[in-house]
Amino acid sequence: MRRWVFGALGIAVLVIWAFPVYWMAVTAFKPGREMFAVPPRLLPANPTLANFGHVLSDGEFWRSAQNSLIVAACTVLAAMAFAFLASLALARFAFRGRRALLVALIVVQMVPHVALVIPIFLTLGPLRLTDALPGLVISYLAFALPFAIWTLRGFVAGVPRDLEEAAMVDGCTRMGAFRRVVLPLIFPGLVATSIYTLILAWNEYLLTYFLISSPEHYTLPLWLTHFITTEGTEYGPLMAGATLIATPVAVFFALVQRHLARGLTAGAVKG
Amino acid sequence: MAAVLGFPLVRVVVLSFQDWGLAQIFTDRAPEFAAGRNYRRIVTDRAFWSALRRTVVLTVAMVALSMAAGVSIALLMERVPAWIRRAVTFVLVLAWAVPSFVSTQVFAWMTDQNAGVLNSLLGLGRHNWYIDSAQGLSVTTAIVVWGAVPFIAITTYAALTQVPAEIVEAARVDGATGWQVLRRITLPVIRPVLVILTALSVIWDFQVFNQIWILRNAAPAPGYQTLSIYSYVKAYQGHEYGYASAVAVVTVLLLLVVMVFYLRRIVRAGEGS
Repeated sequence: MRRWVFGALGIAVLVIWAFPVYWMAVTAFKPGREMFAVPPRLLPANPTLANFGHVLSDGEFWRSAQNSLIVAACTVLAAMAFAFLASLALARFAFRGRRALLVALIVVQMVPHVALVIPIFLTLGPLRLTDALPGLVISYLAFALPFAIWTLRGFVAGVPRDLEEAAMVDGCTRMGAFRRVVLPLIFPGLVATSIYTLILAWNEYLLTYFLISSPEHYTLPLWLTHFITTEGTEYGPLMAGATLIATPVAVFFALVQRHLARGLTAGAVKG
Repeated sequence: MAAVLGFPLVRVVVLSFQDWGLAQIFTDRAPEFAAGRNYRRIVTDRAFWSALRRTVVLTVAMVALSMAAGVSIALLMERVPAWIRRAVTFVLVLAWAVPSFVSTQVFAWMTDQNAGVLNSLLGLGRHNWYIDSAQGLSVTTAIVVWGAVPFIAITTYAALTQVPAEIVEAARVDGATGWQVLRRITLPVIRPVLVILTALSVIWDFQVFNQIWILRNAAPAPGYQTLSIYSYVKAYQGHEYGYASAVAVVTVLLLLVVMVFYLRRIVRAGEGS
């Protein structure tokens, strides 16, 4: 009896959390007429790819996708370069104020993004970097770096120092030990951190909306939320676009989700 | 590095003490020092106080609902057959991965007045969910809870697997009921994780933005304005950068207590391991 109740509850949870995702995908495959059928059909009677065709033949979609890719790639590259060096410094070298810096890394992540939007906007203004992609990269870095450094630091701290010293005893130089021993061990950490940063840059909305005003600089989130034509909201293409944007995120996310949960709850601020 | 990260924070505090408007952007005129004028204005600003009340009520509702649902689901996952557990985990990770701007659009479509699936499932005809902001904000709450539960449930489930099986076994042998085991053994063991999750949820839910802004087509009526939205609207539409900064600073200050609490927990957890 208990087994059945729990089983039924489990399936209810399954349905509630899967339904919005399912409804997004199913709507994307429905032809226009079925979209407004009352009552709505749980399965499309005549599945079609027309909505995807509509999105893929939209020049604005491709331009936004290109912008998103450029900005995300630049953010990841820059963030990794900074975060890598910073995390090495924080994990391997003792210096004055290290603890304060670690605490600052967490604090900055907690500050509401709304509070950072105005100063970023007014700082980029005189530099002519508002409504421009380089401005986006710089401001995404302000959001992405603390988390990237924090996570990467956990990976570096996980490599035992003895291992490095053993390599040096066996005749490696400091750089050699680093390259042959440490780097391969933290490589998975670099990959995981790059993926977080990628997702963060790909999903950023609040700040982008504030900074970007001309459609040729739209990123995908802006494109999706401006997808309202003169005939009102066309939900078919909208859901097709949403599916296209969310799919790569979901795949990447599934790869690194484990590390994400650990980074947020277990601080690992070892002295 | 500290300079890069700290700079916007310091600047927002400075801005909150200045008169900053369109004139300063277009004419390079230096902003005037406003002393405490922006803050005095907050005290008498009715819209601010109602936004503050709305933010607090929403945060309490969102945190309570997502923690209750998340922990219940984690406990449930322990008690269902393995195939259901695997399926639930898969679906939760999927839901977690959906960006909030996407899930908001999906919920907007599900609650559409004319062809929304929710009206049809509940038999509400052509009910408009957004005329009454209380109903509209309950949709927002649903989006936030839907998105927050996966992280809470999965993290709590991971903590549950750390509960020593021998102790539970021993308690059972001594005749403890399921409820007693839960209260006396399970909850104390996972308590630190629950505390951290609650603190994080408060910090996140207090600053919810996308789920309201996008749901209301980038023009939320006053009945939908939380502190984040209010500050954003003042800056984006009103170009009152000084005043908007002051509102943002107050938001941060209100969160400070929770932040300090979370920070202490995290640091202590790090030292313990």
